[in-house]
Amino acid sequence: MKGKKPQSSYKAAGTAPVEEEAKTTCPNTYRLETRNKFRDYLVRDKAQAILTAKLQDTKYNGASSPSLCASISEEVLKAVKEFGFDRYKYVVSVLIVEKAGQAINVASRCIWDAQRDTWVSAQCETETFIALALVVACYCD
Amino acid sequence: MGLNVVLRAVGKKRFGRRAALCGVEDSASSSRTSFVVDEVSSIIKEAIESAIGGNAYQHSKVNQWTTSVVEQTLSQLTKLGKPFKYIVTCVIMQKNGAGLHTASSCFWDNSSDGTCTVRWENKTMYCIVSAFGLAI
Repeated sequence: MKGKKPQSSYKAAGTAPVEEEAKTTCPNTYRLETRNKFRDYLVRDKAQAILTAKLQDTKYNGASSPSLCASISEEVLKAVKEFGFDRYKYVVSVLIVEKAGQAINVASRCIWDAQRDTWVSAQCETETFIALALVVACYCD
Repeated sequence: MGLNVVLRAVGKKRFGRRAALCGVEDSASSSRTSFVVDEVSSIIKEAIESAIGGNAYQHSKVNQWTTSVVEQTLSQLTKLGKPFKYIVTCVIMQKNGAGLHTASSCFWDNSSDGTCTVRWENKTMYCIVSAFGLAI
Protein backbone atom coordinates (compact mmCIF):
# COMPACT_ATOMS: atom_id res chain seq x y z
CA MET A 1 0.00 0.00 0.00
CA LYS A 2 1.46 3.35 -0.99
CA GLY A 3 1.88 6.16 1.54
CA LYS A 4 0.37 4.38 4.52
CA LYS A 5 -0.18 6.83 7.37
CA PRO A 6 0.94 5.86 10.87
CA GLN A 7 -2.01 4.81 12.98
CA SER A 8 -3.29 7.29 15.52
CA SER A 9 -5.97 7.18 18.14
CA TYR A 10 -7.48 9.62 20.57
CA LYS A 11 -9.58 9.80 23.68
CA ALA A 12 -11.48 12.82 24.89
CA ALA A 13 -12.78 13.61 28.35
CA GLY A 14 -14.10 16.71 30.01
CA THR A 15 -16.26 18.22 32.68
CA ALA A 16 -19.30 20.11 31.50
CA PRO A 17 -20.94 22.88 33.49
CA VAL A 18 -23.54 21.57 35.93
CA GLU A 19 -26.94 23.23 35.86
CA GLU A 20 -27.68 24.70 39.28
CA GLU A 21 -31.17 25.39 40.49
CA ALA A 22 -31.56 28.93 41.71
CA LYS A 23 -29.26 31.64 40.44
CA THR A 24 -28.99 34.05 43.33
CA THR A 25 -28.29 37.62 42.40
CA CYS A 26 -26.20 39.93 44.52
CA PRO A 27 -26.48 43.67 44.87
CA ASN A 28 -24.05 45.80 42.87
CA THR A 29 -20.75 46.47 44.56
CA TYR A 30 -19.74 49.21 42.04
CA ARG A 31 -16.19 47.95 42.45
CA LEU A 32 -14.30 47.40 39.21
CA GLU A 33 -11.06 46.09 40.62
CA THR A 34 -9.99 43.43 43.06
CA ARG A 35 -9.46 44.35 46.71
CA ASN A 36 -6.53 42.01 47.11
CA LYS A 37 -4.49 41.67 43.94
CA PHE A 38 -2.89 38.37 42.95
CA ARG A 39 0.76 38.40 43.90
CA ASP A 40 2.59 35.91 41.74
CA TYR A 41 5.82 35.81 43.75
CA LEU A 42 3.95 34.50 46.79
CA VAL A 43 2.22 31.77 44.82
CA ARG A 44 5.40 30.78 43.01
CA ASP A 45 7.29 30.34 46.28
CA LYS A 46 4.44 28.42 47.87
CA ALA A 47 4.01 26.09 44.87
CA GLN A 48 7.77 25.50 44.76
CA ALA A 49 7.78 24.71 48.47
CA ILE A 50 4.91 22.23 48.12
CA LEU A 51 6.59 20.46 45.21
CA THR A 52 9.93 20.24 46.95
CA ALA A 53 8.41 19.04 50.21
CA LYS A 54 6.38 16.31 48.56
CA LEU A 55 8.84 15.14 45.94
CA GLN A 56 12.34 15.83 47.19
CA ASP A 57 13.57 12.32 47.87
CA THR A 58 11.01 10.22 46.05
CA LYS A 59 11.62 7.95 43.11
CA TYR A 60 9.29 7.72 40.17
CA ASN A 61 6.68 5.04 40.70
CA GLY A 62 4.17 4.34 37.95
CA ALA A 63 1.54 3.04 40.32
CA SER A 64 1.51 5.86 42.83
CA SER A 65 2.20 8.77 40.48
CA PRO A 66 -1.39 9.41 39.35
CA SER A 67 -2.64 9.88 42.89
CA LEU A 68 0.47 11.83 43.87
CA CYS A 69 -0.07 14.15 40.94
CA ALA A 70 -3.73 14.70 41.87
CA SER A 71 -2.93 15.29 45.52
CA ILE A 72 -0.24 17.84 44.68
CA SER A 73 -2.60 19.77 42.45
CA GLU A 74 -5.26 19.84 45.17
CA GLU A 75 -2.74 20.95 47.75
CA VAL A 76 -1.46 23.75 45.55
CA LEU A 77 -5.04 24.86 44.85
CA LYS A 78 -5.84 24.86 48.56
CA ALA A 79 -2.73 26.91 49.32
CA VAL A 80 -3.55 29.46 46.61
CA LYS A 81 -7.10 29.79 47.94
CA GLU A 82 -5.75 30.40 51.44
CA PHE A 83 -3.93 33.49 50.24
CA GLY A 84 -7.39 34.98 49.82
CA PHE A 85 -6.89 37.01 46.65
CA ASP A 86 -10.17 38.66 45.86
CA ARG A 87 -12.30 37.80 42.80
CA TYR A 88 -10.06 35.24 41.10
CA LYS A 89 -10.69 31.87 39.52
CA TYR A 90 -7.78 29.42 39.51
CA VAL A 91 -6.66 26.55 37.31
CA VAL A 92 -3.83 24.40 38.65
CA SER A 93 -2.13 21.85 36.38
CA VAL A 94 0.53 19.42 37.55
CA LEU A 95 2.67 17.23 35.26
CA ILE A 96 4.94 14.41 36.39
CA VAL A 97 7.22 13.05 33.68
CA GLU A 98 9.53 10.10 34.11
CA LYS A 99 13.08 10.66 32.93
CA ALA A 100 13.89 8.09 30.32
CA GLY A 101 15.83 10.02 27.74
CA GLN A 102 12.73 11.05 25.82
CA ALA A 103 11.93 14.55 24.72
CA ILE A 104 8.87 16.45 25.90
CA ASN A 105 7.48 19.81 24.93
CA VAL A 106 4.83 21.75 26.88
CA ALA A 107 3.12 24.82 25.39
CA SER A 108 0.25 27.01 26.65
CA ARG A 109 -1.70 29.89 25.27
CA CYS A 110 -4.53 31.85 26.84
CA ILE A 111 -7.28 34.19 25.81
CA TRP A 112 -7.70 36.40 28.82
CA ASP A 113 -7.51 39.91 30.19
CA ALA A 114 -3.84 40.74 29.86
CA GLN A 115 -3.98 43.40 32.56
CA ARG A 116 -5.63 41.32 35.26
CA ASP A 117 -4.89 37.67 34.59
CA THR A 118 -1.59 35.96 35.11
CA TRP A 119 0.12 32.61 35.54
CA VAL A 120 2.89 31.12 37.64
CA SER A 121 4.97 27.97 37.22
CA ALA A 122 7.14 25.93 39.54
CA GLN A 123 9.19 22.82 38.90
CA CYS A 124 11.02 20.15 40.81
CA GLU A 125 13.59 17.85 39.25
CA THR A 126 14.92 14.64 40.78
CA GLU A 127 17.01 11.82 39.39
CA THR A 128 14.10 9.82 38.06
CA PHE A 129 11.42 12.38 37.16
CA ILE A 130 10.51 16.01 36.62
CA ALA A 131 7.44 17.63 38.14
CA LEU A 132 5.92 20.83 36.76
CA ALA A 133 3.12 22.86 38.34
CA LEU A 134 1.26 25.61 36.47
CA VAL A 135 -1.14 27.97 38.23
CA VAL A 136 -3.35 30.31 36.20
CA ALA A 137 -5.32 33.06 37.94
CA CYS A 138 -8.15 34.75 36.06
CA TYR A 139 -9.94 37.80 37.39
CA CYS A 140 -13.66 37.33 37.54
CA ASP A 141 -16.29 39.92 38.49
CA MET B 1 4.86 2.73 31.20
CA GLY B 2 1.96 4.77 32.40
CA LEU B 3 0.03 7.57 30.82
CA ASN B 4 -2.60 8.98 33.04
CA VAL B 5 -4.69 12.08 32.93
CA VAL B 6 -6.67 12.97 36.04
CA LEU B 7 -9.03 15.89 36.17
CA ARG B 8 -10.69 17.12 39.29
CA ALA B 9 -12.81 20.17 38.99
CA VAL B 10 -13.17 21.24 42.57
CA GLY B 11 -15.89 23.72 41.85
CA LYS B 12 -16.80 25.91 44.73
CA LYS B 13 -19.75 28.01 45.65
CA ARG B 14 -20.51 30.73 43.22
CA PHE B 15 -19.07 33.94 44.55
CA GLY B 16 -21.08 37.09 44.33
CA ARG B 17 -21.65 38.42 40.86
CA ARG B 18 -22.68 41.94 40.15
CA ALA B 19 -26.34 41.93 39.30
CA ALA B 20 -25.68 44.21 36.39
CA LEU B 21 -26.90 41.93 33.65
CA CYS B 22 -30.59 41.73 33.12
CA GLY B 23 -32.57 39.72 30.69
CA VAL B 24 -34.27 36.42 30.28
CA GLU B 25 -32.22 33.37 29.50
CA ASP B 26 -34.02 30.34 28.19
CA SER B 27 -32.61 26.87 27.78
CA ALA B 28 -32.38 27.11 24.00
CA SER B 29 -29.94 30.00 24.15
CA SER B 30 -27.87 28.57 26.98
CA SER B 31 -25.87 26.33 24.63
CA ARG B 32 -24.75 29.49 22.86
CA THR B 33 -23.16 30.76 26.04
CA SER B 34 -22.10 27.61 27.85
CA PHE B 35 -19.11 25.35 27.58
CA VAL B 36 -20.00 22.36 25.40
CA VAL B 37 -17.47 19.59 25.90
CA ASP B 38 -18.14 17.75 22.62
CA GLU B 39 -17.76 20.86 20.56
CA VAL B 40 -14.46 21.73 22.20
CA SER B 41 -13.11 18.21 21.94
CA SER B 42 -13.78 18.10 18.21
CA ILE B 43 -12.04 21.46 17.79
CA ILE B 44 -9.02 20.15 19.67
CA LYS B 45 -8.95 16.92 17.72
CA GLU B 46 -9.06 18.77 14.41
CA ALA B 47 -6.24 21.04 15.50
CA ILE B 48 -4.07 18.08 16.49
CA GLU B 49 -4.79 16.18 13.30
CA SER B 50 -4.00 19.11 11.08
CA ALA B 51 -0.80 20.00 12.90
CA ILE B 52 0.74 16.59 13.58
CA GLY B 53 -1.60 13.95 12.17
CA GLY B 54 0.34 11.52 10.05
CA ASN B 55 3.76 12.73 11.24
CA ALA B 56 6.37 10.82 13.15
CA TYR B 57 8.13 12.48 16.08
CA GLN B 58 10.79 14.95 14.94
CA HIS B 59 12.74 16.91 17.50
CA SER B 60 13.35 19.85 15.23
CA LYS B 61 9.65 20.32 14.53
CA VAL B 62 8.06 19.67 17.90
CA ASN B 63 8.28 23.28 19.05
CA GLN B 64 6.44 24.40 15.96
CA TRP B 65 3.86 21.63 16.40
CA THR B 66 2.96 22.47 19.97
CA THR B 67 2.64 26.14 19.08
CA SER B 68 0.47 25.44 16.09
CA VAL B 69 -1.83 23.01 17.92
CA VAL B 70 -2.39 25.52 20.70
CA GLU B 71 -2.86 28.51 18.45
CA GLN B 72 -5.21 26.73 16.12
CA THR B 73 -7.29 25.45 19.05
CA LEU B 74 -7.50 28.92 20.53
CA SER B 75 -8.46 30.60 17.30
CA GLN B 76 -11.25 28.09 16.68
CA LEU B 77 -12.47 28.49 20.24
CA THR B 78 -12.66 32.26 19.88
CA LYS B 79 -14.60 31.82 16.65
CA LEU B 80 -17.34 30.19 18.70
CA GLY B 81 -18.02 33.67 19.99
CA LYS B 82 -18.85 32.63 23.53
CA PRO B 83 -18.15 34.85 26.53
CA PHE B 84 -15.28 32.78 27.89
CA LYS B 85 -11.65 33.13 28.81
CA TYR B 86 -9.71 30.13 27.51
CA ILE B 87 -6.55 28.43 28.69
CA VAL B 88 -5.11 25.77 26.39
CA THR B 89 -2.12 23.59 27.24
CA CYS B 90 -0.47 21.13 24.89
CA VAL B 91 2.06 18.48 25.87
CA ILE B 92 3.85 16.46 23.18
CA MET B 93 6.03 13.63 24.37
CA GLN B 94 8.11 11.18 22.44
CA LYS B 95 7.12 7.55 22.98
CA ASN B 96 9.81 5.89 24.93
CA GLY B 97 8.18 3.72 27.52
CA ALA B 98 8.41 6.54 30.05
CA GLY B 99 5.46 7.51 32.18
CA LEU B 100 3.60 10.82 32.04
CA HIS B 101 0.93 11.89 34.50
CA THR B 102 -1.04 15.11 34.55
CA ALA B 103 -3.65 16.34 37.01
CA SER B 104 -5.66 19.55 37.22
CA SER B 105 -7.59 21.21 39.99
CA CYS B 106 -9.77 24.23 39.42
CA PHE B 107 -11.49 26.79 41.58
CA TRP B 108 -14.29 28.20 39.46
CA ASP B 109 -17.98 28.46 38.94
CA ASN B 110 -19.34 24.95 38.45
CA SER B 111 -22.43 26.08 36.64
CA SER B 112 -20.70 27.90 33.81
CA ASP B 113 -17.09 26.75 33.52
CA GLY B 114 -15.81 23.57 31.98
CA THR B 115 -12.80 21.74 30.72
CA CYS B 116 -11.94 19.29 27.99
CA THR B 117 -8.85 17.13 27.64
CA VAL B 118 -7.95 15.16 24.55
CA ARG B 119 -5.33 12.46 24.67
CA TRP B 120 -3.99 11.64 21.22
CA GLU B 121 -1.28 9.22 20.25
CA ASN B 122 0.35 7.66 17.27
CA LYS B 123 3.24 5.24 16.93
CA THR B 124 5.97 7.69 17.91
CA MET B 125 4.46 10.27 20.24
CA TYR B 126 1.76 11.24 22.70
CA CYS B 127 -0.08 14.54 22.56
CA ILE B 128 -2.28 15.75 25.42
CA VAL B 129 -4.26 18.95 24.97
CA SER B 130 -6.29 20.48 27.81
CA ALA B 131 -8.66 23.37 27.27
CA PHE B 132 -10.23 25.22 30.19
CA GLY B 133 -13.11 27.65 29.64
CA LEU B 134 -13.86 30.22 32.34
CA ALA B 135 -17.02 32.22 31.91
CA ILE B 136 -16.70 35.97 32.01
